[in-house]
Amino acid sequence: MNQHTIRLMGLSVALALSACSSPERSRELNDASIPVHATAQQVCANCHGAAGVATSPNFPNLAGQTQPYIEKQLTAFRSHARSDPEGYEYMWGLSAHLTDAQISGLASYYAQLPPSTGNKDHFGTAVMRSQGQQIFEQGIAATGVPACAACHGAHAEGNDLFPRLAGQHADYLVKQLKVFQSTDQRPDGVAMKAVTHNLTEENMMNVAAYLETVAPIVK
Amino acid sequence: MNNKTYKSVVRSGWIVMLILGINILTAQLAHAIPAYARQTGQNCQACHAGGQFPELTPYGRLFKLSGYTLGTRDIPISVMGVASLSKSLHPDSDPEFAKDSNLIFQTGSVFLGGKITDNLGIFAQATYNNYDGDSGYQGVWGSDNFDLRYADRFISPTSDVIFGVSLNNNPTVTDVWNSAPAWIIYAPTQFGVTGPDASPIVDNLGAQVAGVNAYVMWNNFLYAEIGDYKTANGVFSFLSQGTSDINQTKLSGNNPYLRMALTHEWGANNVMVGMFGLNANIFPDNTVQSGPTIQYRDRGVDAQYQYLLDPQTVSAQFSYVRETINNGAATQIATNPTNTLNSLRLKGTYVYQAKYGTSLSYFSTTGTADPTLYSSANASPDTQGWTPEIFYIPIQNIRVGLQYYAYQKFDGASTNYDGNGRNAKDNNTAFLYVWGAY
Repeated sequence: MNQHTIRLMGLSVALALSACSSPERSRELNDASIPVHATAQQVCANCHGAAGVATSPNFPNLAGQTQPYIEKQLTAFRSHARSDPEGYEYMWGLSAHLTDAQISGLASYYAQLPPSTGNKDHFGTAVMRSQGQQIFEQGIAATGVPACAACHGAHAEGNDLFPRLAGQHADYLVKQLKVFQSTDQRPDGVAMKAVTHNLTEENMMNVAAYLETVAPIVK
Repeated sequence: MNNKTYKSVVRSGWIVMLILGINILTAQLAHAIPAYARQTGQNCQACHAGGQFPELTPYGRLFKLSGYTLGTRDIPISVMGVASLSKSLHPDSDPEFAKDSNLIFQTGSVFLGGKITDNLGIFAQATYNNYDGDSGYQGVWGSDNFDLRYADRFISPTSDVIFGVSLNNNPTVTDVWNSAPAWIIYAPTQFGVTGPDASPIVDNLGAQVAGVNAYVMWNNFLYAEIGDYKTANGVFSFLSQGTSDINQTKLSGNNPYLRMALTHEWGANNVMVGMFGLNANIFPDNTVQSGPTIQYRDRGVDAQYQYLLDPQTVSAQFSYVRETINNGAATQIATNPTNTLNSLRLKGTYVYQAKYGTSLSYFSTTGTADPTLYSSANASPDTQGWTPEIFYIPIQNIRVGLQYYAYQKFDGASTNYDGNGRNAKDNNTAFLYVWGAY
């Protein structure tokens, strides 16, 4: 074995030793010992933001979301029960090896973060927001659309399995409303299939434009 | 270096690669492709804007900056192949037209890519070029892109610092924006005329040099990188495998590289403005590593804009590189003691549903005329043209594209650029390709 080979094997050993990295800053997804805050910050933050508020409307804000809702969605991604395109393109793989405890922990981590203050995207006009607010608070009697506030809370703050909608990205909300209305890709939201049945695209845009601007209530 | 020593260091290089491979291969089998998608379990379009290789999304940039380490170790091997058909308007006897109108298997690549440890990851590409070698028509395996990096990230809800070190074989291959010279133009062919004859040295050092770069990304806002490049020989000769000694550019001593960029993301938009500098001192004769050198000074500014909101992808790149070439004490290289070469590139891309795409590129190379440096009739490197492209991604592992290289000026003139009546547009070339990766 020549000198170069010895030197290079030494280098390789040094590289192998670098495996002893901190779990506090690990991006490993198949290790239940990694703390959930590390996974949230090293992995989830790439799309959902370091504070759980996503910059891109492709990705939902998670900060202040209800714990049971996040837990249920992560579980549904892991089992492939939720199969909307954004879900399987991004989330199936990331959730594949998470344990129940990690999922529960991640949901709790995001639930306790302060929610988005809203209106990041300036999605709609004042008229759209006004009409959206009416749908949210009163529904559309003529077509039998119920008020969103009945389940999601008067301030869209969410409740248990009904997610927080206040301050959520409008584009994300519209896409999900269409998923509920036109597909069976989110079977856990079967109740929403009936709710959205008579919504027009304009209705969806209006209600999303309103919800995006709703600031969190001060408790 | 004598032949025996050369062989021994080459063997040593391969041993390192083997050991790295074994380090990675202690993993389980899994379901998807290629290597990074397998590691994260995500679709290609999570990291590549509109699913189009190689342009990265904000998420893809973070994946690369954090050392390719996000996810779970998996089979780290991917393969890629390109079949192509080029058709030029008026091919002549030049070797670049040798395969005109022929459907050919162009290149095949094997990638070693992925997470090695929580902090160490690799992007290494070996490419089989079906028409290469000293004669130009032999199949040759060689090193292609190589980027081995160690990275760490300190992030909290209020601050985010990523830093790392890369061993690589091409200035700007470490870059995460598509306006960098290593990434801006995707033209996987050497047949037909697919660009200017002359280009800055930063475009021409791939798989010939070894660099160690350190970088930091602060709050996803400020990026700074500093590197040092040397000839990839001795212990680093595995980085230039496949490049024969006589064809390998030889750098003298240390050759610094600096890169700075500011980036900002708002809503579905993100923008970057940046600059880079590379000082390269190069021996005029690849076989003689002593004596005076030619001093290349490349200074570049670049910018990128992306709008990414499913199902739309819009992106634009700008790159301007100004190079000064100082002969120093080297003789018979150029008539002028100092020459300049300027390379401008603009590119815009639109992709719908990560399936249907179109792009338009503009390239303009200008520079001082020099009858020794440029052997063409006008002694000028000036070349301008457009490249429209349409492409289709039926599934994320396959891309079919048609590019057209339309020249307004070539080697200093629009008409009769070679003194024998050949016009710039005679080099116009259509290029059809099928790209696949697994």
